[in-house]
Amino acid sequence: MAVIVRVPGSLKDWFGGSDEVSCEGKTLGECIDRIDREFPGIRDRLLNEDGEIGAILIFLNGENVTKLEGLATSISDGDEIGIIPFAAGG
Amino acid sequence: MIIDDPRSKFVFIYHPLVLMGRSYTVYQGKEMTNAEVLEYWGKWLVLGERPWLDELAEKLDPYVERKEIPVIKYDRLPPLNLGLDECVMMVYCDRRNRDDVWKILTQFGIKMKAWVTERETMEMWLPGGILLERWMASEDYDEATREAVREDAGKRLNHIFDHPEEIYKTWEQ
Repeated sequence: MAVIVRVPGSLKDWFGGSDEVSCEGKTLGECIDRIDREFPGIRDRLLNEDGEIGAILIFLNGENVTKLEGLATSISDGDEIGIIPFAAGG
Repeated sequence: MIIDDPRSKFVFIYHPLVLMGRSYTVYQGKEMTNAEVLEYWGKWLVLGERPWLDELAEKLDPYVERKEIPVIKYDRLPPLNLGLDECVMMVYCDRRNRDDVWKILTQFGIKMKAWVTERETMEMWLPGGILLERWMASEDYDEATREAVREDAGKRLNHIFDHPEEIYKTWEQ
């Protein structure tokens, strides 16, 4: 399942200077694990010390994934994941 | 109409009627209650550098004038104290109209889709909420001031949660 992951300009460094990367996985958690292999440390940036979403806002097709099933949220081919700093939500 | 008042930390795009006291939290011609705002009201987030957001604001202003977008606001300066080094534009609308508003945004190259409900935002600014606490830490308030700020935030926001039937009222920002 190939999905697009987008970040704003301020987070481009996380992905080697790109604001868009692709990843694969059946769930958001799997997708994050795959990205972490390509860009080590991403997992720690996205998840808190308990391994939960909370350090940042993550959206699947515009919906905050904490309102879905969090890391267990299923993803499908063509889905879009957006990642933004937590403070932007206020 | 773009309102760029240096006394505010935000630049706003309002319909002129809002400046005459008309509410923008309206659905199908009816002002929304607190309960309706908590259920349906929210915003698409657009992050970027200020000059780019200024250009985008000019392009979106006609949609606000035509009431296709209820209201927009964006940071005058990046909120560095909250850990952000770019500005955030908030394109507000009712969830039931958000797909139409999203289509407008995509015309101007917006790709990252991020919808945040007003309820989520209010929860971040309630006493103990992550953004309220982060903001107070950045202001280096003493504990007495923090408590006063928490009390004020709690009073304002809990009123919305506790009075679902009242017509929603915004406050000056």
